[in-house]
Amino acid sequence: MHFKLNKSQPLKNLYVPHHLINDQLRDFLMGRLWLYEHLPFLKETIHQHIKMGYIQTIPGIRMIPTTHKLFSNKKYICNRCHNENPEFFAHFNCAKCQQICVYCRHCIKMGRVSNCSSLVKWIGPQRKNLSSYHPKLNRSHLFRWKGVFTPQQQKASEELIDSVKKNLVHLLHAVCGSGKTEILFPVVAECLMQHKRVCVATPRTDVVLELAPRFQKVFPNIFIQALYGGATVEKRYSPLIIATTHQLYRFEEVFDVVIVDEADAFPYTFDETLQQAVEKAKKPDAPILYVTATPSDELKEKVEKLKGGYSFIPRRYHGHPLLVPRYVSLFNYQKQITKGKIPKKLRDWTSLRLTNEEPFLLFFPTIELMEKAVPLFQKLHPAIEAVHADDPNRKEKVAALREKKVPGLLTTTILERGVTIPKVQVAIVGAESGIFTASALIQIGGRVGRSADCPTGDLVFFHHGITFEMDEARKEIMMLNDMEVLM
Amino acid sequence: MREKLPQMTITRCYLCATPLPNKLTWCKLLTQTKAPVVCEKCLRKFEPVTCQQQKYKDVTAIYHYNEPMKDFLHQYKFMRDVVLSKVFREQISQHLKDEKATIVPIPMHPEKLKERTFAHIDELLNAANIPFTHLLEKKLPTTQSSKSKREREQSDQLFRLKQHVTIEKIHYVLVDDIITTGTTIRHAKSLLLEAGAEKVTAFTLIQG
Ligand SMILES: [Zn+2]
Ligand SMILES: [Zn+2]
Ligand SMILES: [Zn+2]
Repeated sequence: MHFKLNKSQPLKNLYVPHHLINDQLRDFLMGRLWLYEHLPFLKETIHQHIKMGYIQTIPGIRMIPTTHKLFSNKKYICNRCHNENPEFFAHFNCAKCQQICVYCRHCIKMGRVSNCSSLVKWIGPQRKNLSSYHPKLNRSHLFRWKGVFTPQQQKASEELIDSVKKNLVHLLHAVCGSGKTEILFPVVAECLMQHKRVCVATPRTDVVLELAPRFQKVFPNIFIQALYGGATVEKRYSPLIIATTHQLYRFEEVFDVVIVDEADAFPYTFDETLQQAVEKAKKPDAPILYVTATPSDELKEKVEKLKGGYSFIPRRYHGHPLLVPRYVSLFNYQKQITKGKIPKKLRDWTSLRLTNEEPFLLFFPTIELMEKAVPLFQKLHPAIEAVHADDPNRKEKVAALREKKVPGLLTTTILERGVTIPKVQVAIVGAESGIFTASALIQIGGRVGRSADCPTGDLVFFHHGITFEMDEARKEIMMLNDMEVLM
Repeated sequence: MREKLPQMTITRCYLCATPLPNKLTWCKLLTQTKAPVVCEKCLRKFEPVTCQQQKYKDVTAIYHYNEPMKDFLHQYKFMRDVVLSKVFREQISQHLKDEKATIVPIPMHPEKLKERTFAHIDELLNAANIPFTHLLEKKLPTTQSSKSKREREQSDQLFRLKQHVTIEKIHYVLVDDIITTGTTIRHAKSLLLEAGAEKVTAFTLIQG
């Protein structure tokens, strides 16, 4: 039988020859916006689907002629990351298209999108949902979680489900260690039961690496795809994607719910295109659930303005208060470390941790200072290591600390969130530095006393003068501890 | 055909995106040096090769192949971030601007060129405003790195002369991005010498 497919018509209602569809290709591409040259399928297969009208190709860069007298230049928009900032576009003489070509530098880490490259998306028939494959799919098969909630956690988890039902934005404001990941499980389960596609997005790769196995454990029978720079992308359909916000550039109007974890973490707060990426990746009326321990005023206002839901958990799940930081002055620490000497108070603190065999994290304001300090600390114990954002062995080093193979780590702010290490003790060297904002300090403090069997510990701000941000952090922690708890 | 690209003012470091200070100094005006496209912090991470550290005879390399340089080359060649050709334009210009010899870039195979969309050596020279002449052609599209060292040593001549070119009895300077075993340069050099060149030296951005 012969018929013509018209691109502008919705294909779902037409008879389509399903047997011609490459299921793997469809499952992979559904909802994605992918560079044609990076598609992990045979060129012939792709072309066949383009011909059948199941795959749409769009140019990588959109050009808008500007009529402005002063700027004769054209205006460019990247069709993948939606960047419009001319600073992030570059021109070159292209050997492929034989003319001056433009590419987007803003999202180049995911493969270069240029004027002469195409992006592809799936516009063919949708995949049949899970129920047709597993008609007996039931809740206990999908969701294996045996934990017990405190009344506050229970309330918050129900409020999240309620907001999703009403398609409302929601802010879950939960202090560090309040079990916020667990609070998300029921709402994710609820969505998956209804065959909704869910994305948990976070600005940091570390958080993706920590969350993915935890979700996989409670949802053992679905395929969860973790996405971050360098992740292996499987050619399968995944109803639950755990990704860095960056990776959302590669999706379009697909998610029924997006959960933004650690919504206040750099670079999400600063980069507007990342916020747009979340908007672009979700279906137009799909709700966003924001989860954070330290919401910014802007985020609170935004949620309020949209009349969204709000849940607040001031207490950690074990009911113990947050640790209040101790201030310890450490004058001229920079000079001393540069001269090859660990300041006495800092050395004593570290030695005590080593004697007591307590794992510790030492936060530094800059990589430079940290690198100067590493050999000095290694004289106290040769196994002490350091990690920073570009460290390829970061994952292994954090695991080594957890397994007590390493007594302590020196780190930049990269480990300020998402890391849970039992009994860890924390000190910040140079807490007065600009990089340690109140929210960063609260997050760092939240690393201590996370487990119920050891809810206390030491949290020290070593400083060269007390800043407003340090006091803000301390005030906020004490305020949270004083809150009425509903039990 | 090369077309003239639109002039763009560079406001951020090409490598770390921090805003660049817009200092217009007399020195810059008088010497006509080009404004840097990377910040000083990023530039300091690259490690220059001193005279004593030059590994190969008749080859001048300007930087060591340290981690930041690996990242740079990856982003330039493999991520195809063409504008990074400007990062070392001042340093390359310093070395080659008064060169009397004819500059000959190591060529790319046409297939590879189409795939990469730009000739990375040519672009380094263009960015530094150094005129050059293509005299060689790559015979096969295979890349050096996919072969073992042994295979490379033993393989036949990698290049041939372009059609209709004559090699004069003069000094030629070969230009490549990186020298690791010296094989590429050796092949090109022997071909030019056999064809009648008087002297062949080489210049590379990096020494591996
Ligand atoms: Zn882009
Ligand atoms: Zn092109
Ligand atoms: Zn820089």
